[in-house]
Amino acid sequence: MTTNRRWHSGMFGTEDWWSVWIGLAIFAASLASLAGVDLVGWMARPRPWEWTNLSSEFAWSKLFAPASAGYASWHPLVSWAATYFVFTALFATGARFLRLDVRRFVIGFTVLFVVTWAAWVVGNELHLTIVDAAVDGRNRYAEAQLSWGLQLGEGAPYLLALIAGLVLGNFAKGFAATRLAEAARPEWYIKTAIVFLGVNLGAQTIEASGFAVDLVLTGAAATFVAYLFFWPIVYAVARKWFGFKRDVAAVVASGISVCGASAAIATAGAIRAKPVIPVTVSMVVVIFAMLELIVLPGLYTAFLPDQPIVNGAALGMTVKTDGADAAAGALLDELMIARHLQLTGEQWQTGWILSAALLTKIWIDVFIGIWAFVLAIVWIRNVEKRADAVQVSPMEIWFRFPKFVFGYFVAWGVYFLLATQSEALAATLDTGTAVVAGPMRTMLFMLTFVAMGAMTNFAKLKGMGKIALLYGLALVVVIAPIAYAVAYLFHRGITPPLAP
Amino acid sequence: MSVRELVLSYARGRWHARGGEVDLVHRELRGLEGLIEAHMTSEAAPVEVRLQFDMSALPRWLHQYHGHYCNYTLRVPPRGMRA
Repeated sequence: MTTNRRWHSGMFGTEDWWSVWIGLAIFAASLASLAGVDLVGWMARPRPWEWTNLSSEFAWSKLFAPASAGYASWHPLVSWAATYFVFTALFATGARFLRLDVRRFVIGFTVLFVVTWAAWVVGNELHLTIVDAAVDGRNRYAEAQLSWGLQLGEGAPYLLALIAGLVLGNFAKGFAATRLAEAARPEWYIKTAIVFLGVNLGAQTIEASGFAVDLVLTGAAATFVAYLFFWPIVYAVARKWFGFKRDVAAVVASGISVCGASAAIATAGAIRAKPVIPVTVSMVVVIFAMLELIVLPGLYTAFLPDQPIVNGAALGMTVKTDGADAAAGALLDELMIARHLQLTGEQWQTGWILSAALLTKIWIDVFIGIWAFVLAIVWIRNVEKRADAVQVSPMEIWFRFPKFVFGYFVAWGVYFLLATQSEALAATLDTGTAVVAGPMRTMLFMLTFVAMGAMTNFAKLKGMGKIALLYGLALVVVIAPIAYAVAYLFHRGITPPLAP
Repeated sequence: MSVRELVLSYARGRWHARGGEVDLVHRELRGLEGLIEAHMTSEAAPVEVRLQFDMSALPRWLHQYHGHYCNYTLRVPPRGMRA
């Protein structure tokens, strides 16, 4: 039985809290670099490679290697095995507390891990990644003497991971449903990666505090737009044009316009709707989030290549699950950097577009508890008219608060406080945190892409006619255009700093 | 005022309320609340029934998105004041 009775309920029983524990445990381990001890440098990191070079003389070290110089003597396969065992052990521990079938979880996780790494390594082949442009007087594409290249930058591994996941979810449905379901938890992986991203935000705050303030302002505007603008429009359309009953319309409106599956469940609980309603809505939300992840980053990169931060923030308001939003933000980040490099020869720093997508979304997430509480009060008083008999406690706000946000801000705050002490301390700190914010974070993003693809079965859209139609209509006519206009209002012309 | 705690869940199209000797089922939540109220008829004082939803009644894949459904309190008036 899983009920929330006290404020500390679920601290070891939800994926949300376990993303905080795993994220902060690894972040804490990285801080040992301050004492001269490298506890995270064993992490394997793929390297750029070229297939004719590899086939002429194979070596594992051409494909991947330990992330830190202190572990350079390790064989790449030992480094990879260490990566597998550490992350499997951490997530399996969480799975045990979550009362999952640990054996099935480990099997599923292992498959997802291997697929993730295959996509990550293959995606680093130069024909897929390297961009034909001169940076600081060097054109690495020309130096590599390639006859062709897709020039996708670091977006190539993400695209491959996405394709691999979708193949599993749609062409190996039985295998995905029976062998992978226990471990296909993209929200858990992405929330852990978001805790790691607190380090990136810390570094960005130090480099450009105005950017952080800008993102906070957009986040506030995004929250206003999502709850007080998108929601009433979608609710009204659901009621008047689609003829949904009140409870269905409210759950659908939250799922489409606020924060996806999370909002659908929170709203349904708040208005005490039958659980079958949020289950159905969440299935549609998850599939549409995947479609948005496939379409929007490429669309923004192709048609709006000079508005990177606008594009990121617009994604944060448009894509409705944390996993899909962060994944779309990461993909957009890499595709736009490659495109800008192609067009101008300038290379933007990574992570800024992703931060824009993420912070905008996190703002919306944070207020879901308050929104659901207000909705519960309104429902009891005005719809059910049972204020005398039914009472809801403000503790509901806490139970619905997204806990991974704590991890994100703890990592941000600790990094910021330590890194601003002195430049020497910041450099020492970075030897550990760079691994966490770099390859570890990227690997969990890749794992999210694969897991999300594996649990997305497009065939499930059959029979969801009216909800799917409303979702598509609201997305194209209301949410995407308004989100873009709001993001443009706040961020037009802002670009990430150039890479050093 | 006495306080009771019941666990609320939903399975096969029906709401369930369980706790102690109580085990009630109804297709509609409002109907279930009526059954809970009727069950408390022996109580002369008002009763505060705290209902906590059992998340394991929702599919496992959904838990990663949100870890809470609903808790609420049902106030049952004393015997003489019931409709």
